[in-house]
Amino acid sequence: MPELKLPDIDYAALLPMLILFGAACVGVLIEGFVPRSVRNMVQLVLSLAAMVAALVFVIRRAGEVTAENAATIGGAIMIDNMGLFMEGALLVLGLVSLLLFGERTLERGGAFVPHAAVTVGSERDREQAVDSGATEVYPLALFSLGGMLMFVTANDLLTMFVALEVFSLPLYLMCALARRKRLLSQESALKYFLLGAYASAFFLFGVAMIYGFAKGVDFRAIHEAVRGSETSPTLLLIGLALVAIGLLFKIAAAPFHVWTPDVYQGAPTPVTAFMAACTKAAAFGALLRVLYVGFDGAKWHFTPVLGAVAVLTMLVGAVLAVTQTDLKRLLAYSSVANAGYLMVGLLGGNKDGLSSTLFYLVAYGFTVIAAFALVSLVRDADGEATHLSRWAGLGRRSPLFAGIFTFLLLAFAGIPLTSGFMAKFGVFGAAIAGDQTWLVIFGVLTSIVLAFPYLRVVVMMWLSEPGETTPSVSIPGVLTSAVLGIGTVATLLLGVLPGPLLELADQASSFIR
Amino acid sequence: MSGVETGEAVAFFLLAPLSVIGALGMVMARNAVHSALWLVLTMLSLGVFYIVQAGPFIGMVQIIVYTGAIMMLFLFVLMLVGRDASDSVIETLRGQRVVAIVLGVGLAGLLGLGTYRATQGLAVTGLDEANKAGNVQGLARLIFTNYVFAFEVTSALLITAAVGAMILAHVERRRGERVGQAAKMRERFLPGNYPGPKAGPGVYATSTSVATPAKLPDGSPAPRSISPILPTRELTAAEKANKHTEGR
Repeated sequence: MPELKLPDIDYAALLPMLILFGAACVGVLIEGFVPRSVRNMVQLVLSLAAMVAALVFVIRRAGEVTAENAATIGGAIMIDNMGLFMEGALLVLGLVSLLLFGERTLERGGAFVPHAAVTVGSERDREQAVDSGATEVYPLALFSLGGMLMFVTANDLLTMFVALEVFSLPLYLMCALARRKRLLSQESALKYFLLGAYASAFFLFGVAMIYGFAKGVDFRAIHEAVRGSETSPTLLLIGLALVAIGLLFKIAAAPFHVWTPDVYQGAPTPVTAFMAACTKAAAFGALLRVLYVGFDGAKWHFTPVLGAVAVLTMLVGAVLAVTQTDLKRLLAYSSVANAGYLMVGLLGGNKDGLSSTLFYLVAYGFTVIAAFALVSLVRDADGEATHLSRWAGLGRRSPLFAGIFTFLLLAFAGIPLTSGFMAKFGVFGAAIAGDQTWLVIFGVLTSIVLAFPYLRVVVMMWLSEPGETTPSVSIPGVLTSAVLGIGTVATLLLGVLPGPLLELADQASSFIR
Repeated sequence: MSGVETGEAVAFFLLAPLSVIGALGMVMARNAVHSALWLVLTMLSLGVFYIVQAGPFIGMVQIIVYTGAIMMLFLFVLMLVGRDASDSVIETLRGQRVVAIVLGVGLAGLLGLGTYRATQGLAVTGLDEANKAGNVQGLARLIFTNYVFAFEVTSALLITAAVGAMILAHVERRRGERVGQAAKMRERFLPGNYPGPKAGPGVYATSTSVATPAKLPDGSPAPRSISPILPTRELTAAEKANKHTEGR
């Protein structure tokens, strides 16, 4: 028997992930040993510290990437420029949305239920209304974020599958922990879990097919097999289609988007913000890697199919957003449509396509986190007032917050001087350069349709008289204010001075195979 | 060792229909326990397939871990939750079942046909090489070299699952709700409470069936001795008769 040669492990490259997983384990121990009164503060500080530390190590790594040291731990993880950029983006967006998790001033005890196992509507449930919310969400969020970092740097499909599960499972759990409207929250978690498990099964089935085709699951083997294999390409096509279904589910592309509105509406708003920004970024990071590194030779096969999916996604997202009466559902359908725009950039298929998609992910992430932070401010006695009619006349009540929300909606609509404009401009430009003009035509048309629901909210906020039922806008605590500030400033800065991030995304848009 | 040998073919054609029947039965059974047992059949067949295809380790793991441990645990949970919980057959979405069946069969046909055509005349390679140093050793080599990170990170998944089970299923008792042992004993021997174990079914009766109630000293049946989930059974005259305890 030949000697077993253990793989070299570059701990410096893996450190961001190891820090997050380690901090999550410490967080679980904190649940057991730290008194309840200080737990929230301890967990929040620990999680933020872990994310900052991970971010520091990502930045320190930035200059040191070479073709030799990128693959580590037996070739399972690839820390190349693109991977580092996605890790950094995920950490920054995760950091901002984690601030929302810690907010305790808007509602007594925070946005999470203290004991999720208590029967909804029972006496015990009413008693726990004053208790401090569950703090297990912090380790869960850290596990999830660690899984996302692994997802975007995975260099073979098997590692990618494990990462997919590691980041999905905590999300399913966190969706069930809303303090208000608990049945809706539990229903959303169950739906997300069942459909997510189904999508994972498709992904795994696809991996098996690709293994049959390429005799390996790492992207280099797949790349070489796609280039010059004698085997019939049927297995490749089946495998690629099934793997793509698993990933398209996570980015909420039509027709795999049906979970999005229900889950976005039911989940606690901080979790929704986290999902909208980070899950989308992680899934796109992985999709980029799969399509650009592993299957770039099959471009002629997948571009028309994914183009059709992108068009369908934009249409479904834009048209159904028009019919929504709930703000969280409206933002969910807008997130579906945005997945379509991101796919337009991705299908541009060149370096521009890659860098513009990266820019879009970061710009959209900041805007969407700020938008959900604002949704969590408008409340009445029953919690958040998310029905559209309740927002009528909000501009008269509190012009500052209505102004910020208007700005964010304009960014979603892609008005110049916002990051949304630069992002859309980038992905559409890349698609035209990549001969995908038909996608751009649909993109522009659906953008016009999508502007309608945004502007309807704006008109309602400013031009209606506030009624009896118009809820008040709570004064945000330090954490939510910080999130709002960061999100809004980033949306403005990336619209006015996009240069630095564009340059960064441009430098990052290279894979190592 | 390439190509399909007779034994392998026989095993396949015996077990393949069984595994499909198990899968169909799992989906169609109304009762959750029956579903679980059908799934056991499918999993056992799969385990044998793995062994036949020269993967003894994964086959044994399938049988011991999945069928043996996980499915039995699942059955315990079903029994604890209540065996008589069964699916509602009302469709909430009209025509959903028909559409689901048509699409499901279509997808299965598409994938099956595609795979069948793609694997026609495909030479089996790499099996001897993979099992050269032994099946378990070959797996260990992969797990501790190429996939060591995925293997280690699976622990994060397990921690998440444990934390999730605690969050979603465990209600912490508050101070004042905890009952000490002394208080429990006092409560047990309070007047009006029966401190001893209740009679099991069939005690002093002439039948050994679990559906036969025990007899009280006066000869009347004790309804508390049979499980409430069992269907009530018409007893025969012989079963109703008191058991002879004297004169034998």
